[in-house]
Amino acid sequence: MNLLQQVVNGVIIGHAYALVAVGWTMLLGAARLVNFGHGQMYMVGAFVAWWFMRLTGLPYPVAVVAAVLVGALIGAVMQRLLMRLTLSRDLVSLMIVTLGFGQMLEGAAGLTFGARPQTLTSPFQSMTLHFGAIWFTVQDVILVVATLVVFLALRLLLNATKFGVAVRMVAEDPVLTRLAGIDIARVYMGIFAFEGAAVAFAATLVAPRTPILTSMGFDQVVTTFVVVVLGGIGSVGGSYVAGLSLGLFTALFGALVSPAYTTAAVFALLIAVMALRPGQLAASANFAR
Amino acid sequence: MSARLEIENLRVAYGASQAVAVDRLVVEPGTLAAVVGANGAGKSTLVNAIANWSRAAPRVEGAVRMDGEDIAGRAAHEIVKRGLQLVPEGRGVFMGLTVEENLREGAPSDAGPGRRSYSIDDVYELFPRLRERRSTAGGSLSGGERQMLAVGRALRMAPKSLLLDEPSIGLAPRFVALLLRTIRSLVDDGLTVLLVEQNVRAAMEVTDVVHLLERGRLIASGPVDEMRDDPRIVEAYLGGGHG
Ligand SMILES: Nc1ncnc2c1ncn2[C@@H]1O[C@H](COP(=O)(O)OP(=O)(O)OP(=O)(O)O)[C@@H](O)[C@H]1O
Ligand SMILES: [Mg+2]
Repeated sequence: MNLLQQVVNGVIIGHAYALVAVGWTMLLGAARLVNFGHGQMYMVGAFVAWWFMRLTGLPYPVAVVAAVLVGALIGAVMQRLLMRLTLSRDLVSLMIVTLGFGQMLEGAAGLTFGARPQTLTSPFQSMTLHFGAIWFTVQDVILVVATLVVFLALRLLLNATKFGVAVRMVAEDPVLTRLAGIDIARVYMGIFAFEGAAVAFAATLVAPRTPILTSMGFDQVVTTFVVVVLGGIGSVGGSYVAGLSLGLFTALFGALVSPAYTTAAVFALLIAVMALRPGQLAASANFAR
Repeated sequence: MSARLEIENLRVAYGASQAVAVDRLVVEPGTLAAVVGANGAGKSTLVNAIANWSRAAPRVEGAVRMDGEDIAGRAAHEIVKRGLQLVPEGRGVFMGLTVEENLREGAPSDAGPGRRSYSIDDVYELFPRLRERRSTAGGSLSGGERQMLAVGRALRMAPKSLLLDEPSIGLAPRFVALLLRTIRSLVDDGLTVLLVEQNVRAAMEVTDVVHLLERGRLIASGPVDEMRDDPRIVEAYLGGGHG
């Protein structure tokens, strides 16, 4: 175990955390909404890709596209179901309903995909690259590059496109946005579809690292929550930095202190941040950074 | 080119308390009508209800016709698309967006017959100050600049009728005159405008018709030259002097 390898691992895991969280960042920043079904949507993304490959025999990249489309669809359906709660921004009800939605997804996935662990096979997972004492896989490289691309694209979308400006208008003042002739229900639909597509995309890139289980959603929702809170709720750039920092923290804590207490340490960190910077819990108006 | 706005039997209530009961209010095409009245008279409630827009979701009944088409009950963004535009009281701009981003959303150039579309440059022509401030965030503008931007945003939607709720509030007299003169020039170009104004004296300079609202009801209406001498207006708004 060398330290440099741990840093490399931390960077990779950090990008995974950031990519998994990007959809929720958008949801929270633009729509001031939460989705505690996020983790189960991650799980469904991974299983849809796995199932798709098994059923069709088509290669992994095609399965990624299929999972992203299904993810976007789940997000859009969720928005339709939650329309009234979204428009009134009733956060407590939303929390409970999205938790329930996640449980439904988990139940349905259990029935459809079975309870046994499976492996989402990516051909890039077995391609390793060695540089002196450190190594990583081509899958890791794809994950890091894809995360950077998604974050940069999101910033560009928010700052330079008509839809992005509409999203920022909704973020600041949804009621006033109506007077710009914008159907805000459709903007919310786009935001939810992005959340669903992004978490599914993340799942297909991250899941090949470990076996997948239909019960794995909960861990994902927890880490995502930590990333989003650490990043200063709803800030795009903040989430990226928070994901990366959390990845480095877990990798180094696991190597230098104890892997058994990593999760506890992450929660301690979360509580410390929430106690020290309570102002951050109010979503920032300029989340497009 | 311009639209006739017709309101009939409009009733607006917040919960059990009725805030507006207007039997009939017509704004002729290409004219400017001012609604004046005390604080709490129901001016904002009235114009918001016409646009079916509100932060408080009051109950609204009645007919709102633009060129004969009943638009009451349609979603606020649909009404905007049909050419009826509200500039709401207070904050009508996005603080986190730059001036140019605020002006980005607009009606398509082929919005429909009889609608004059305004490009971002057209808005800058009208309010040159906004061009200088194009990269400034809405939240960093002065009150006057903000109101210009709010009007500019409204024009970008290529309205046939414009409802303005106290556009001059908090502005220096110089800005009030500038803004109201600009609005008048838009009316002379064919826009139909319903203007809520608490600066009655300034409104009288530009308007064609005055409506006096009291406790949600129109208690007097008429051409500006008659209303100037109406004792109820003179006493309450023109400082008891003569018109
Ligand atoms: N959200 C609301 N909930 C309950 N009552 C309201 C609400 N908004 C306004 N009202 C009431 O409706 C009446 C009309 O208010 P409105 O804001 O339309 O008056 P206004 O003429 O625009 O006043 P101002 O000159 O102060 O802007 C008032 O009695 C007010 O208390
Ligand atoms: Mg008012």
